[in-house]
Amino acid sequence: MSKRLPISEIWVYLSGDPLFALIITLATYQLGYLLYVRAKRNPLVNPVAISVVLTSLLISVLDMPYEKYFEGAQFVHFLLGTATVALAVPIYNGFKKMQGKFFQILFALMVGSAVSIASAVAIATWLGASQSMIGSMYAKSVTAPIAMGIAERIHVSPTLTAVFTVITGMLGAILAPYILNALKIHQWWIRGTAIGVGAHGLGITRAFSVNEEAGIFASMAMGLNGVISAIALPLVLSYIRVRF
Amino acid sequence: MIEGLVQLFLWQGLGELASKFLLPNIPGPVLGLLFLVAFLFVKGEVNQPLGMVADTFRQHLGLLFVPASVGVVLFLPDLKTHALAVSTALLVSVALTIGVTAVVLKVLWYFSIKRNKSQSHE
Repeated sequence: MSKRLPISEIWVYLSGDPLFALIITLATYQLGYLLYVRAKRNPLVNPVAISVVLTSLLISVLDMPYEKYFEGAQFVHFLLGTATVALAVPIYNGFKKMQGKFFQILFALMVGSAVSIASAVAIATWLGASQSMIGSMYAKSVTAPIAMGIAERIHVSPTLTAVFTVITGMLGAILAPYILNALKIHQWWIRGTAIGVGAHGLGITRAFSVNEEAGIFASMAMGLNGVISAIALPLVLSYIRVRF
Repeated sequence: MIEGLVQLFLWQGLGELASKFLLPNIPGPVLGLLFLVAFLFVKGEVNQPLGMVADTFRQHLGLLFVPASVGVVLFLPDLKTHALAVSTALLVSVALTIGVTAVVLKVLWYFSIKRNKSQSHE
């Protein structure tokens, strides 16, 4: 009975299965994470970037269309919403530690968020980036799950937004210690909050590895920034688009 | 683990419902997050299974946006043309964001300390 299948037929079968997309997504991330831990959590060795590069290479080499890949990978993608809800826990933990600093943090966070968007959009426009690129700069300082939700609502590419978000997180995690030292900011809670607003998830991982208090404030700032941006950005943008 | 996930799914579901019928401008998961924050304040503590799942999500948040980010293959030609503009914008913007947020916060904090001191002197 054992009729041997040619390799190509096995491949056709495998690549049509959602499992394949899931395997390469999880396996490349796992590999990236192992390298990241081995590199003593150096922000340059980013597991997400490694996974994205390897997966992109794999599907290009295998000639697999992105849509086909996403059919399988959507099961991972789906959990973004759940992960967003889970941000409630660090926000709550941060609130308990704030002790009357709420309005200071809220104000600084809104200024920082505005600077983030204005500077990115201004520079990208000035240097002649295309409309789709510029649009995807709006939500890049917000944590990725919320950023992509915002991107859908303001009709810009969620994909580019996610990519810019990952790059922003990497850059922020690398640069933050130098910037904050140069500005002579030594309070852990201020350092953490600034990193949470600017460099979201990756910055937080970095902050936690240096100081617990910085990590908690960073998580809280990231969550709060996400919530405020999700509510405010679509409103502000639709106002600007109507006016100009 | 499962207990924590069930709680998150329930809040997410509630958020999606509220987003669909009451507040269409805010994404469902964000509303779910707000509901859960409110619930935690009422409860006064984070139960252990929820804390555990939330921690796992925070640690591996990056994995969840791999599928969307791989879509970058669709934009490669466009990205190459605008590489300089995009990288400069991202680099300068993140540095400014971190710097400005920290400085604003420090200035506000100094003022509030000063005010507290002068109030306690009177």
